[in-house]
Amino acid sequence: MNEKIISPLNRVEGDLDLKVIIENNRVIRAYPMSRLFRGIEIILRNKYPMDSLVITPRICGICGASHLYATAQALDMAYNAYVPPNGVRLRNVMALAEMAQNDVRHTYLMFLIDTVNKKYENLPFYKDMVLRWAPYIGSSYKEAVKWSKKYTEIYAIFGGQWPHGSAMVPGGVTTDPYYNDIMKAKGILTHITVEFLEKTVLGGPLYQFLEINSLNGLEQWCTDYPNGDLCKIWNYGKDMGWLELGRGSNYLMSFGHVPLAEKYVPGNSKLMFDKGIINLENWEKIDLDQNNILEFVSSSYYTYDEGEKIGLHPFDGETKPLPPNASSSKYTFTKAFRYKLGNSLIAPEVGAISMLTVGGNSLMVDLVRRFKSNVLLREIARIIRLALIHKIIMDELNDYDINKPAYKKPDEVNTTRGYGMLEAPRGSLGHWIVIKEGKIYNYQIVTPTQINMGPEDPFGNLSHLSLSLLGTEVNDVNNPIEVAHVVRSHDACMVCNVHFFDSGLEKMVIRL
Amino acid sequence: MKNLLWLQGGACGGNTLSVLNASDPDLFTFLFTHNVKLLWHPSLSLDNNITQILNDIISDRLHLDILIFEGTVIMGPNGTGMYDIFAGKPMIEWLRKIATKADYIIAVGSCASFGGIPASEPNPTESTGLQFHKKDCGGFLGKNFKSRKGFPVINLSGCPVHPEWLLTTLLLIIEDKLSQEDLDEFNRPRLFYSTTTQFGCPRQPYFTYKISTKELGHREGCLYFELGCRGPYTRSSCNNILWNNQSSKTRVGTPCMGCTEFDFPSFNFFKTEKNRSGIPKRLPLGVSRGSYVTFSAVAKASAPQFLLRPLVRKGKGDWIE
Ligand code: SF4
Repeated sequence: MNEKIISPLNRVEGDLDLKVIIENNRVIRAYPMSRLFRGIEIILRNKYPMDSLVITPRICGICGASHLYATAQALDMAYNAYVPPNGVRLRNVMALAEMAQNDVRHTYLMFLIDTVNKKYENLPFYKDMVLRWAPYIGSSYKEAVKWSKKYTEIYAIFGGQWPHGSAMVPGGVTTDPYYNDIMKAKGILTHITVEFLEKTVLGGPLYQFLEINSLNGLEQWCTDYPNGDLCKIWNYGKDMGWLELGRGSNYLMSFGHVPLAEKYVPGNSKLMFDKGIINLENWEKIDLDQNNILEFVSSSYYTYDEGEKIGLHPFDGETKPLPPNASSSKYTFTKAFRYKLGNSLIAPEVGAISMLTVGGNSLMVDLVRRFKSNVLLREIARIIRLALIHKIIMDELNDYDINKPAYKKPDEVNTTRGYGMLEAPRGSLGHWIVIKEGKIYNYQIVTPTQINMGPEDPFGNLSHLSLSLLGTEVNDVNNPIEVAHVVRSHDACMVCNVHFFDSGLEKMVIRL
Repeated sequence: MKNLLWLQGGACGGNTLSVLNASDPDLFTFLFTHNVKLLWHPSLSLDNNITQILNDIISDRLHLDILIFEGTVIMGPNGTGMYDIFAGKPMIEWLRKIATKADYIIAVGSCASFGGIPASEPNPTESTGLQFHKKDCGGFLGKNFKSRKGFPVINLSGCPVHPEWLLTTLLLIIEDKLSQEDLDEFNRPRLFYSTTTQFGCPRQPYFTYKISTKELGHREGCLYFELGCRGPYTRSSCNNILWNNQSSKTRVGTPCMGCTEFDFPSFNFFKTEKNRSGIPKRLPLGVSRGSYVTFSAVAKASAPQFLLRPLVRKGKGDWIE
């Protein structure tokens, strides 16, 4: 038996260590461990509610706009705010521009560079992978470095700066763009579409790609446009066994995303990407009710007033950290997220693949129906999502009504509560705020990486990541690249890198 | 060739992402052109050989020219540093050793400089900056700490740092052009921290004539009088060196949050705290209460009429005052 502690597991966002136990070249147990505690929820207590608009984006350097959007939605609900359609559109543009930036940087800077791993050296297409995807020098890597930042320019036109703007506020956005701003943002987007998305990523025209709705269509695309990275990832990925790698939870969950501008109602909007849960065994679609969300701490460095067995809904959530202690059974700063489904507690998978599948994208649904969830489809999902984002941002900007406002001042409410739930780049994100006498009484945040990579609950149910690693075959225990693929395919973010560690605390066997 | 190592403590990764936004030159072109070797970076490096690298630096097998640290130094709980374990040990243990080996140390972002958000009350992680804790010199490394080249920790505050501030500072170091006189009292390069956020803000005419916007969401009006803009007393170059080549907070109507200053986050954002006579509690940098009051009265009385109405759109603009 081999016990590997991989620390830090780099190239994921946030500090993640991973302990995997390998027997006969198979992973038999996996413990994702978040080693970093920053205490943001504690700092928010007793502060002025609007302060959360400044603090929460700083939870994460790569998805701050998603946190900002969640906060703004939670305050919309708490203050009963009306948000003019223009305000919703600009929020959507900003959130999606950030998401596009993330999907490109994840794919090229964090994930694909693992294809230069020595495991693949003897494959006939190894040279092509190195020429495209090798860090710093690969042709596509360089394009990704160059173009990913252009999305942040679109963000900054409306959000002031990226990362860490605070332009989304209850009632809309702080900005009142002129028409030249709209034109410039569209210009930048078109530039990225033509010079990067179509040339490097898709290999063919965007509008045509968006018509694909099945596996057959995707295969045909790869025949027609064999030189795009999409086709290469798809074909090489299949050959490298990624369709069979890292399956995991039976459930895909999405909090839903992109409210329709005219139909925005905090907590109850009509969405472009529907929310819900899909059971991969029988394709039953389950409605999502935020009341069924629970967090457990029996394996986490936290304590609850009422003991270890209970789960708390975020509105009643507690953040009481305990010092890490090697001799306790607790091992992570991540709470265990569970969704109460009838009498059972499920640990779903979240991420681009869930957002698109639950959201009803027909290409994604067809792929997942055939292959379930796995490393390759998670990567393909991000590319499909990127293409969709290009279209949605353009539509939102085209529909922007320059003669109408983007903000309506709400009245602040002294004792109230609200939540904001959406899809961040890495998956479902929720913020819950309780306000008493004009101050934040409780602020609880559920992040996608927490949902995917939490520990087991008191009843022994494993999280999605642990499940997806179970049974993973590791060719060479000294080079557990398969494990890295599984973790990185989730675009992990413990803010902001996942660490495989060698340790003073635990016996280290292998470093990745 | 210069060796550069980038480590993260209690960080959100925002400074890393910000530097990836650098455009002319971009980060990799910069490193390549100036012959800088990035020994390791948590989000960018292919290999996970950081323990080896750290040990090589500590045992003098590898020379470290520049250490960049992002995020707070986490001392908690109870001074053990166990809230931030990196490569098997509390980050503070690595940092203590590595700091003595670096020719230069740069703290990127307000967390590494002053403690930032994690160090704000009640500071649950016992976070601090590398050489400052909020306004007090000291922090993790102590007041008298000097890196091998005799410099204190060079602070590039901001939440996050602007890529141009960082790359320029790196270049000054690489070309041996940085002297200690170039740093201000918080050890920040004056080049970027001598102006206030107001320099270059398009709302400056409104500030001059004391014309306020009463609510968010508008182009017109200054954000200082009602909406808590910290631009008049925050030293930054945000409106001179634009963000993402495009804009800044105040340009899109978001008040300056003062994120380059030691007291960030000072909370109660989006509103201006005033004293009983209605004067903002925090006055523009270097302005006395007396002259502020006198000057405001004159300025208000001299305000040009066209500034009291929306500039482009029709309508009364009852949010302008
Ligand atoms: S908005 Fe802020 S930065 Fe701009 S002039 Fe007014 S106070 Fe200064």
